[in-house]
Amino acid sequence: MTTYTPPTATAEETAERDAARVGGLPPRAERGSPWWLYAVLGVGLLVMSLPFVWMVVSSIKPEAEVRRVPPTWLPETVTTENYQTLLDRLSFPTYFVNSTVVAVVVMLGNLVFCSMLGYALAKLDFRGKKVVFALVLGTLMVPGIAVIVPLFVLVTNLGLANTFPGLFLPYLVTPIGVFLMRQYFLGLPDELISAARVDGAGEFRIFWNVMLPLTGPALATLALLTFLASWNNFLWPVVVAQTEDRYTLPVALALYSVGQNATQYGVLLAGAVVVVLPVIAVFLAVQRYFVQGIAMTGIK
Amino acid sequence: MATVSTTPAPVAARRGTTPLRRSQARTAWLLALPFLLLFAIFTIGPVLASLVMSFTDMRSTDLRTPFAVDPAGVSNYVDLFGDPLFRKVAVNTAIFVLVGVPLTMVLALAAAVGLNQITRVRSFFRLGYYLPVITSIVAVAVVWRFLLQPDTGPINQVLGLVGIDGPDWLGSTTLALPTLIVMTAWRNLGYLMVIFLAGLQTVPREMLEAAEVDGAGRWQRFRYVTVPVMRPTLLFGAVITSIGYLQFFEEPFVMTNGGPLDATRSMAMYVYDQFGFGNYGIASAASYVLFVAIAALTFVLFRALRSTD
Amino acid sequence: MKTTTRTLALLAAAALLVSACGRDEDGDADDAAQAESVAEGPAEGTIEVWAMGAEGENLDVLGAAFTEENPDATVEVTPVPWEGAHDKIATAIAAGETPDVSLIGTTWMGEFAKTGGLDPTPEDLVNPDDFFPGPWESTVVEDTSYGVPWYVETRALYYRTDLAEQAGLEPPTNWDELKSFAQGLQEQGGAQYGIYLQPGQQGAWQTFMPFAWQNGAQLTDGDQYAIDSPETVEALEFYTSFFEEGLSQNTPLDPGALEQGFVDGTIGSFISGPWHVGLVRDVGGPEIDDKFDVVPLPGKDSGVGTSFVGGGNLAVFDASDNRDAAWKFVQFASQPETQQLWYETINDLPSVQSAWEGGPLTDDPLVAVFGEQLQETEAPPAVPTWEQVAASIDSDIERAVRGQVEPTEAVANMQQQAESIGTGL
Repeated sequence: MTTYTPPTATAEETAERDAARVGGLPPRAERGSPWWLYAVLGVGLLVMSLPFVWMVVSSIKPEAEVRRVPPTWLPETVTTENYQTLLDRLSFPTYFVNSTVVAVVVMLGNLVFCSMLGYALAKLDFRGKKVVFALVLGTLMVPGIAVIVPLFVLVTNLGLANTFPGLFLPYLVTPIGVFLMRQYFLGLPDELISAARVDGAGEFRIFWNVMLPLTGPALATLALLTFLASWNNFLWPVVVAQTEDRYTLPVALALYSVGQNATQYGVLLAGAVVVVLPVIAVFLAVQRYFVQGIAMTGIK
Repeated sequence: MATVSTTPAPVAARRGTTPLRRSQARTAWLLALPFLLLFAIFTIGPVLASLVMSFTDMRSTDLRTPFAVDPAGVSNYVDLFGDPLFRKVAVNTAIFVLVGVPLTMVLALAAAVGLNQITRVRSFFRLGYYLPVITSIVAVAVVWRFLLQPDTGPINQVLGLVGIDGPDWLGSTTLALPTLIVMTAWRNLGYLMVIFLAGLQTVPREMLEAAEVDGAGRWQRFRYVTVPVMRPTLLFGAVITSIGYLQFFEEPFVMTNGGPLDATRSMAMYVYDQFGFGNYGIASAASYVLFVAIAALTFVLFRALRSTD
Repeated sequence: MKTTTRTLALLAAAALLVSACGRDEDGDADDAAQAESVAEGPAEGTIEVWAMGAEGENLDVLGAAFTEENPDATVEVTPVPWEGAHDKIATAIAAGETPDVSLIGTTWMGEFAKTGGLDPTPEDLVNPDDFFPGPWESTVVEDTSYGVPWYVETRALYYRTDLAEQAGLEPPTNWDELKSFAQGLQEQGGAQYGIYLQPGQQGAWQTFMPFAWQNGAQLTDGDQYAIDSPETVEALEFYTSFFEEGLSQNTPLDPGALEQGFVDGTIGSFISGPWHVGLVRDVGGPEIDDKFDVVPLPGKDSGVGTSFVGGGNLAVFDASDNRDAAWKFVQFASQPETQQLWYETINDLPSVQSAWEGGPLTDDPLVAVFGEQLQETEAPPAVPTWEQVAASIDSDIERAVRGQVEPTEAVANMQQQAESIGTGL
């Protein structure tokens, strides 16, 4: 961090730059984002989005056409039957609410608790810090399936089987969140903290009012990662939900599309499209935070 | 602000117990408390139980009487390394990580830097690169299988135009694993791209401007300004990608089911199968072999990417 | 560091203690094999049932019919996805958080019965002779039955009638004819492959073992594995010859490709279960109906050859708080009329033989073929380790098909692997 130079720009200069600025790059670079960059990124975009496009388009094909080998691209017959089946069979609102409640609680829990511990591990000095970090990092490495039986026995004994807390409590804090936040805080200059201490701010206030507001991009990333992980989580909700009214969307979709010997691909894809929409919404919401730089002027 | 750089950094206060240090420690533990409480109950407990399991001969038929199982010492671990299939999946997984992690890192970093520079339809582009992460694996499998079809697939047809007789990518015992590595990199780079985009925002623009004033080109600015500042983020990315790839599962599961002839079977598939077979002792032991591998790799990454100060 | 270690040890102890408390109530697994009979009179109270997939989705139909006969009883169904169902039942048994009744895949019976989590079938509840023998055997673990067969499925030969006609072929009635049938469909019929036999990968044993059974081979003899026999080797030689002669593709087909290839006429025939009738019709539309037929597997020399039988059983958990009513529901589900109702509801084939006589099951000629095939079936042994043994057989089949090992060596390896895995009993 010795390479860091405190900013010397005046407020007007900063404001002017902010208006023209993108990400962490200087003005000249973005004035002419070169055409070839768009071309290269455009080709990449095509490669990246092909299966997604097929998924969306195929969700309005009849089952027989979805199964066609080789696959068709534009639908020969357009049908809403897959979506109709979903609506007829699934208590959609219930599953949607369950998934949303669990994913939002998990996301909020991770944002709050992981940034707290992440800050402590990155910027505060205390005994046992290394041990705590090693422990957290260590459990990040245990494959999830290895703990599912003991975890369910535990949750049942706490009386939480088939409850919302049973669904979200085990994921309320995740090692990956702490790791992410710690790494991001490490990248922020220590001088900000020292300056705030000189100004007489308490340790907690420094965390909450000075440092946390600078972690927009990391919090956005963490929100996206934890929301997505919870939203797609399958095995745990299957195990812990004992009645249908506690099922989440992926569980309900698997129930109606994957049989003992055959899969209904049309319904599966329509379900996948429905499931992905909220994730896209979250992505678009959080990606706006990937343009904040470090707002130095905020610590005065 | 001018005094900032001369004020001792918090690290300097480490020796001895000063009031500052005490208040830091108090705050740290208060901040850590809620996390550690939940973590102790819902993570450490089950993890330890599974660790204990790995030293017993527990099977799923002992589920109701877990205390009747016999301690097996390290015999599960010995048996594992005696199993030729386990050795095979360990090698597959190692190749996968050693090739896949750098490949994904480079692609994701390139994508993030590129996407961070453009101004028009930025959200559209960013979302596009993120799509593979959120596309149903079923659709991913259908389209990739189509692309990779030996006779009629577009990839081999393009190769045919330049006179190359395209192989059966997924049916060949030598090519199936590399093919899945590329596919997995494709599928995960959006995830990493998001993390790197966030990391790029920590690069102070003043430093980039100063470098530009000093005459540094694009590449030099990237190499000497962006990369050093992003080091913690790069470390995070490398570690979580390694952990994810050591537990590589979905792609071989849907594309090849571990075949042909176990050429794409991974450690995670082995663990999954053993749990499915009800061999909880062996499966837990295999999980902890995986754990040690991940821990070792993480240690190496921490060494390699640790900050220079 | 010292304090940290101690904290860890305490936590470990606590975790184990908590799990111990949960299990104490459930009693011991070893004294489970005594089957109590069920009280007389109509069922009462709530019966919680788990069932997978389409069975779970439609089980309310049977629930309503049951309540009609037993007005004081209600059936509460929780549909469970097939994916994850095994883990869900296993964790539920571990935590003592089971329903009263559950659908159990036939190959899971050995494992779950051995946990002590299933209640033995009451002696006088049903008559074992009413069921097809293979499915009944799948409920019997170490001489005690732990459930009742609910529905069954078996494998038969699908073929394209138009291609066979073009080649002047009648459906095969023995192994030699099966071979020349595949050759004819390919050479004169114009199919790219005369037949599709699964060349390895998960479940390949279900296509291969019928050939071994048709040749008189057995998987077990008493409580010993008896896979390695000249009969199994001969069957594997026959099986692999289809690949060597280019009559079957030697790489596994992608999902959906089998139906598509069959409808396109590139695959002349294949062996599969009743669900493929619907899949073929989905892809081929109404035109395909008079272009394909299903016949029982040919025996080695003559007659109907042995096929694989699978399906689902209904079992009652020993932790059930409404055991008698639960068994009464299971009994109800296995009555011929209920089985016919269930066939009409979701086309599940009855496990009870008399349900096939008259009624809806005689209406569809393709269904009648599966009924005929069900007379000649074998089920895998109901041992807890079966899935693992099966997986190793699958991989030996793949190696033999790809010519990596000789059939003799592959079969010897199946035996050796099975012995080292054990039965788990």
